[in-house]
Amino acid sequence: MDTTLIIHFKAYVHGETLQLNKKYKNPFGEIYEISRFRFYVGKIEPVYTDAGLKPNQAPPYQLIDFSDSSSTMIEFPATMGTCNGIQFVLGIDSADQNQGAQTGSLDPIKGMFWTWNSGYQSFKMEGFSPLSNQPSHMIAYHIGGYRYPFSTVWKIKMNTTNDEVFRITNEYKIIVDVPVELDYFFDGATPLRIREISSCTTPGEMARKISENFIGSFTGLTLTSNP
Amino acid sequence: MWINTPFPFEIPKGFPPPVYQFRNNLRTKQGFELGRKLFYDGKLSKDGNVPCSSCHQQFAAFATYEHRLSHGFNNQFSFRNAPGLFNLAWEKEMNWDGGVNHIEVQPLAPLLDPHEMAEDLNQIIEKLKKDKDYPALFNHAFGLPGINSQRILKALAQFTASLVSANSKYDQVKRGMAHFNQYEQAGYTIFLQKCARCHQEPLFTDFSYRNTGMEIDSTLKDYGRMRITGRREDSLKFRVPSLRNVFLTFPYGHDGRFATISEFLEHYNTGVVRSPTLDSSLRKGIPISENDRFYLISFLGTLTDSSFVNNPLFSDPETGIKKDAPVDKH
Repeated sequence: MDTTLIIHFKAYVHGETLQLNKKYKNPFGEIYEISRFRFYVGKIEPVYTDAGLKPNQAPPYQLIDFSDSSSTMIEFPATMGTCNGIQFVLGIDSADQNQGAQTGSLDPIKGMFWTWNSGYQSFKMEGFSPLSNQPSHMIAYHIGGYRYPFSTVWKIKMNTTNDEVFRITNEYKIIVDVPVELDYFFDGATPLRIREISSCTTPGEMARKISENFIGSFTGLTLTSNP
Repeated sequence: MWINTPFPFEIPKGFPPPVYQFRNNLRTKQGFELGRKLFYDGKLSKDGNVPCSSCHQQFAAFATYEHRLSHGFNNQFSFRNAPGLFNLAWEKEMNWDGGVNHIEVQPLAPLLDPHEMAEDLNQIIEKLKKDKDYPALFNHAFGLPGINSQRILKALAQFTASLVSANSKYDQVKRGMAHFNQYEQAGYTIFLQKCARCHQEPLFTDFSYRNTGMEIDSTLKDYGRMRITGRREDSLKFRVPSLRNVFLTFPYGHDGRFATISEFLEHYNTGVVRSPTLDSSLRKGIPISENDRFYLISFLGTLTDSSFVNNPLFSDPETGIKKDAPVDKH
């Protein structure tokens, strides 16, 4: 039997909800503000504790865009059962990168497609910081690339906090919150100091490293049931 | 309303199966004609003056006639020499550096490049929606009203993937309908020895990326394939271009630095610059004597497909084939 599951992506800074165009300090004490923050999510499915259960066909890629709160939720048909996590692809899978002209969330009009080096960016973060030496003190992390060895596309499997299990049922709606904490993005595997790296707009080693920081900013899942 | 006149794509005899098979983009007369109209329409550019066809001219086998670099929006130069457009359905990747991974998304690069057509996708869609003809043409080609980027790109691909050039004297010789003269035949023999490893028949390219020992231009700073892959071993590598229609597509090289066929042959003879990524077959250059050059040029002339450059099907739908000599309009 099927019901639906809702996944809600939420962005935080120091544990508080991210507000666009508001000044923050990153863990290195650098002042910044974010004006645009988007990323692609696809192939999303619940992880069942019962190995016999198979997930439904995953919903199409969605562009999560924090300037449009409706885009931050994905509701999709899901098989009922007990779960302890979810998995998804962050970015666009290599097999889906070269399929020609697309529409919907993959329409190049969304500004996430590179024309001179074909491919969808995995995520895009833009804003300002007085520490940036770019024109108008812009910061621009346009992170993409799907080819080995500099792929920025990741398959992510996340467990619920404390391995709590949850039931997908038609008795009430479950909302799975996926937090993205920007403190961990900056203070990640590669410390991202705006003074040093204020822009990355091409595929390559740096984009790959920044994408590692980005997946590090996805922390444990939390659940909200909505009886 | 879908006015669907089937328009089957013919694979020339001796050609391998094409990479692009019009999957999810059924080739129809209406789709092709729409793509053709778009290709020749300045509306796709910011100032209305730079249609695809301004840099891809049919009489030059859809390269830019006699220009090292092409002219785009606001008197700017393009970054690279405009390649001829033909047999694109056989190309897995496009551009000198292979950066474009599908024929349908290829036009996005020149459309949006601020040095070329410099337009914005939303603007293009708006202009086409307001046009008196396009809404109906899109409706006919796709069976439902509406203009979006996907439809524009699919229609353009119906046209560009249809640009097949396979009727040169060389092709006629291969089909037993013509004969090489003695000079052409001698040139063909030399070609097979010295050139065909990279410029493989029948498409006259192996689609690989190679460093052919061209010194880097200090103003363009173009490292070729490395720009796409980010890998040092791809530095200074560029796509092996097809030699079909080579008489028409001068100047030559990714930056158009060789004005004549003689110049690029002389490059292989004496001009190859050594660097760590130089193609292994070029360490000593390719010895090409005066006689070789004469014969090779005779052979390369047989790769000109005049029925292709004079095919009314591919011409500007407003003007048809121009009978006068090519005129430099820039």
